[in-house]
Amino acid sequence: MKSAVARRRRGSELLLGLLAVVIVVSGYILVQLSKQLDLPPDLWVLLAVMVGMFAVAHLGVRWFAPRGDATLLPLVALLCGIGFIMISRLNHHLARTQAVWTGVGVACFVATLAVVRRPRALERYRYTFALLGFALLVLPLAPGIGATINGARLWVHLGPVNFEPNEIAKVLLVVFFASYLADKRELLSAGSRRIGRMMVPDPKHLLPLVLAWGFSLIIMAGQGDLGSSMLFFAVFVGMLYVATERSAYLIGAAGLFAVASVFAYNAVGHVQVRVSTWINPWPVAQGKGYQLIQSLFAFGSGGFGGTGLGLGSPQKIPNAATDFVFAAVGEELGLLGTVAVVIAFLIVVGAGFRIAVSSDRPFTKLFATGLTGLIGIQAFVIIGGVTRLIPLTGITLPFVSYGGSSLVANFVLVALLLRISDEAAADAEAYARTSAIAVASHS
Amino acid sequence: MTTENLLTVLKFCFLALLYLFLARVVRVVVLEMRAAKDVDLAADEVVPPPKPKPKSRDRRRLPSLHIVEPVSLAGEAFTLDREVTVGRGGGCQIVLPDDTFVSQVHARLFQRDGRTYVEDLGSRNGTYVNGKRIEGATRLRRGDRIQFGQTVTEVTV
Repeated sequence: MKSAVARRRRGSELLLGLLAVVIVVSGYILVQLSKQLDLPPDLWVLLAVMVGMFAVAHLGVRWFAPRGDATLLPLVALLCGIGFIMISRLNHHLARTQAVWTGVGVACFVATLAVVRRPRALERYRYTFALLGFALLVLPLAPGIGATINGARLWVHLGPVNFEPNEIAKVLLVVFFASYLADKRELLSAGSRRIGRMMVPDPKHLLPLVLAWGFSLIIMAGQGDLGSSMLFFAVFVGMLYVATERSAYLIGAAGLFAVASVFAYNAVGHVQVRVSTWINPWPVAQGKGYQLIQSLFAFGSGGFGGTGLGLGSPQKIPNAATDFVFAAVGEELGLLGTVAVVIAFLIVVGAGFRIAVSSDRPFTKLFATGLTGLIGIQAFVIIGGVTRLIPLTGITLPFVSYGGSSLVANFVLVALLLRISDEAAADAEAYARTSAIAVASHS
Repeated sequence: MTTENLLTVLKFCFLALLYLFLARVVRVVVLEMRAAKDVDLAADEVVPPPKPKPKSRDRRRLPSLHIVEPVSLAGEAFTLDREVTVGRGGGCQIVLPDDTFVSQVHARLFQRDGRTYVEDLGSRNGTYVNGKRIEGATRLRRGDRIQFGQTVTEVTV
């Protein structure tokens, strides 16, 4: 390894990652100790698998993106590990599947690093990615392979494997939006027509964007996946704002959101249920509000320090391993544990935005912003949902929740962020070098 | 009873470890940001205070402007030993006759207190420093890229 930046960053990554492994393994031991004073029989398996997976990911970064950000991979390891502890504590069978999916995720992580050598090259395939994204979005509607689980038609069965294609579609559509906005941002921010006192951009530049956006929102809403449509909406409004620096888009989006919410409230049955259980879940405590109330009880019985790993009863919450994993953490690790998870997500988002700032190409800047938005807003929507801050919409907590497709998609996403980070650092180094040469040759 | 106490102690040890990890991560972030800042400061310090001594030996120490784009003019350099104007018109010290996006008198570069500044003189298409359109006099540092019309130049020392 040549550069000082690369050496420093990979060194920190290795140390932090090993610390994360130690934390996860000790958490796993604590779960076992709560049952009997003995070490878990499969402790060495877990230790070997975790160290192995982290080593593979770390070596992948060392090889393909040596100057990438140091904090992302250890934080991902910690979040995955906390998720794994909670899932294994709830259901041993699910935990095994989750471990396999984590392995697939790490493989996809390294593969993404290897395939996407230059993030900016993705810009060229924007329409390919957009089409692929839409194809994946509508895939669950296809008869034969599509399937409905919990009232949302999001799943695709292919042989023994079930997956949610829209998790991957989100990342692909962010590529499309980032490259389109990078291309047209001047046109969209300057405006060429005058309406009253406002300059508005020519609608022909806005049209592809609005079409793509509306189409994806309608598909997701049509599939009953309101969490994803909300996530999508927020991420793209954020990207539009970052690209154009015009707050008018934010105001317009807030208006659109209000209209869409009223429409969804009146037209889609389960939106009313979600809103009324959010405002007051108690009248339906044994029915529609059961899940949310169990979640609140979990946080309540967790208190400040939690009941201790393995000592609570998070299995009482329906879907505790997927949407409500944060409530399970809240019960067994208390406020301290949940705040730690929130801090971990904040640092991930901070790292993503630092990467966006450090990159000096419009496309990669917007791409990093969009990817970071996907993680941050998704975490906000589900954490807000289970704590009754906002109406509940079922999406996964990135890296923590049980769910293969989400795990794989998020690993790909972090690999892309590391690639962008590496490219930005390499650019900065090359720039510093040429400047140094210029100084040397002139003095 | 004792097992229960033991488990409580272990639980808080686990949480402490969790926060220790987060603190280490934050420390790495802080060090990163400090390193980035140091690089910026170092880059500032490298720019020597240019003392306008028009002696031939010192000439090369003065900041100068190199053309980067278009490639046909690449390498052409102008020493910034006094105030110079840039434009398409013949009266300018730096004439860019072939770039139709450059105004007749486009911008001026001048020295004040040993620092070099660039100021747009109301050109049609503006002057950009490192990709940002400037308003008012803008200080230049070594390595800055200044764009007039379609011509890109770089400041070297």
